[in-house]
Amino acid sequence: MILQIKNTARDLKIRLPDLITRPVGRRMYERTRKSMAHVGDGEVVLVDFSGVQVIDSSFIDEFLLRLIEDSREESPVFFVKLANITPIIETNIDSVFSSYQAYNERRIAVVTESLTAMNSYCIGIISGHERDVLDYLRINRVAALGDIAAFVGMREEDALPLVEGLYGLRVVRREHSGPPGRYEAV
Amino acid sequence: MYVLTDGTTTTLLLPDRCRDVYSFEDIISLGEKISRERVAALDLSAISFIEPYSMLALLLLGRNHLRDTGERLRLANIPLNIHQYLARMDFISKGSFVLTDRLDAKLLYRRSSFSNRVIEITDIPGRERESIRAIAGVISIFRKRARHILKYWLNESIVDYFVTVISEVCQNIFEHSLDSGYCAMQTYSAGSEHVVRLVIMDSGIGIRESFGGRNEFASVSGSGIIEKALTTPISSKRRFGYGLCQVNAIIEKLKGSIYIRSADSSAAVLYNRRQSGASHLFLRDDLAPFPGTQISISLFG
Repeated sequence: MILQIKNTARDLKIRLPDLITRPVGRRMYERTRKSMAHVGDGEVVLVDFSGVQVIDSSFIDEFLLRLIEDSREESPVFFVKLANITPIIETNIDSVFSSYQAYNERRIAVVTESLTAMNSYCIGIISGHERDVLDYLRINRVAALGDIAAFVGMREEDALPLVEGLYGLRVVRREHSGPPGRYEAV
Repeated sequence: MYVLTDGTTTTLLLPDRCRDVYSFEDIISLGEKISRERVAALDLSAISFIEPYSMLALLLLGRNHLRDTGERLRLANIPLNIHQYLARMDFISKGSFVLTDRLDAKLLYRRSSFSNRVIEITDIPGRERESIRAIAGVISIFRKRARHILKYWLNESIVDYFVTVISEVCQNIFEHSLDSGYCAMQTYSAGSEHVVRLVIMDSGIGIRESFGGRNEFASVSGSGIIEKALTTPISSKRRFGYGLCQVNAIIEKLKGSIYIRSADSSAAVLYNRRQSGASHLFLRDDLAPFPGTQISISLFG
C-alpha cells in the first residue's frame, strides 16, 4: 500500500510543504488510519513524503510514532517504509526516535527506501549486526535464518533473537508463503 | 536618574540599551520603577538603535503594564529612525502604547523597501487552533523571504532548519505558557557583522512554573531548568518532549546562539563563540523579574 502524504494533506486542506504541530499530526494520523482500514496482515505501507519539506517533532510524535506503534500490534501486523524524505525530515525523525528510546526504554526504528545521511536504509538506533542483516536482506530480498546466521558469523540459535528483534521492530518481515524460518526485506 | 516629572505625568527616560539581549536587561530592571513611581510615559529620545529582541521585550513591557494597571504607557520623543522602524515592524499597531507624536505618512517606510529582510511582529495566540494558523502564516512568510533573510547563510538545508526552529519554539507558547505571545525575525548589520535574529516571547507562566508539577525540578535553579530543557528531551506536559532540545541541536549545527530568559533566570548558549575547551553556556539567576519566556536565536556571519 502506498500512502501519498501530499494527497492526505490536500484532502484535509493542510497546506504543504511543511507538516507541523501536534493537531496537524493528529488529523493526518486519523485520516491515514481510516485509509488503512483494509491493510492486509504482513503488508508494507510505503509512506511517501514527496512534496513535503519539513515535518517537526510534534508531527512525528502524533503521526509517525503512532503509526509505527500500531504496526507492532498483533493484528494486523504491517510494516512502515518511508520514501522521499528530506535531510531535515530524517534529522527530526532520528532525534524523536532517540528521545523515545531514552524515555520508553523501548527501541524504535523505521525502514527507508533511500540511503540516509547515516549511510543506512533505516532510521533508529540499531546495532552493527542488525544493520548487516538489513543490508543482507535488502540485497537478497529473502533469506533463510541459516544464511543470515552465516553472513553475520553467528550460530542459528544466536541469530534467531537478533532477526526476531528486527521483526519486532517491524524492519524485517517473516516470509508468509515460504517454509518457516525465512525472512524478507521490508 | 531617569525619572523626569513634568507636573502632570512622570516620564522615564529610557537609556540607549536596546542593542542586544544583555543590554536590554537595564531596561527590564526599570520595570519595578515604572510601577512604583507611576510612570506614565517612556522617553525614547536616547535610543539610537533597537534590535528585534529589545523591540519585542519592550512591547511585552507595555502589554504587561496595560494588563496590570489598565492604562497604556505613552511613548514620547521617539527618534525618527526608531519610529520608522517600530511602525514598519507593526510594533505601534499592536496597541500596547500610546504615541505622543504621530509620524507623517510620507516618512513611513514603504513595505517594499526592506520587506524581504524581516518578518513583522506576529501574534501567536494562546489557543491551539488560532495559534497553529498563526505559526503556519509565519512559516509561509519566512519561506517567501528566506532568500533575503538568510542571504549571508543560505544553503539548501538552512531554510528547513529554521522552519523547524520557528515551529518548535512558537508551539511552546500555546502548549506551555498559558498566554499569547509574539514572534518576529530580522536580518541586520551590526558593525561588520551580519546578524539574523529570530525572537519569540510571551508573558505567561514561565519555564519553572510550567514544570511546577515535576518534583525532580523542585530544587533546580531556574537557569538549571532552562539548561535541562535545552539539553534533555524533557516536557512539562508529557513524559518527554523534543522542542527546545531539537532547537538546541539545530543551532549547534548552524554555529549560532540561543538566549532564553524566563522570570529571573537566563541561559545563553553561544556556539558561535565556542572554542575547544572553553565554556559556551552561561547561566544566570539574578535577573530582574520579568514574566513569561523570552527567546532569541541568532546566527552571525
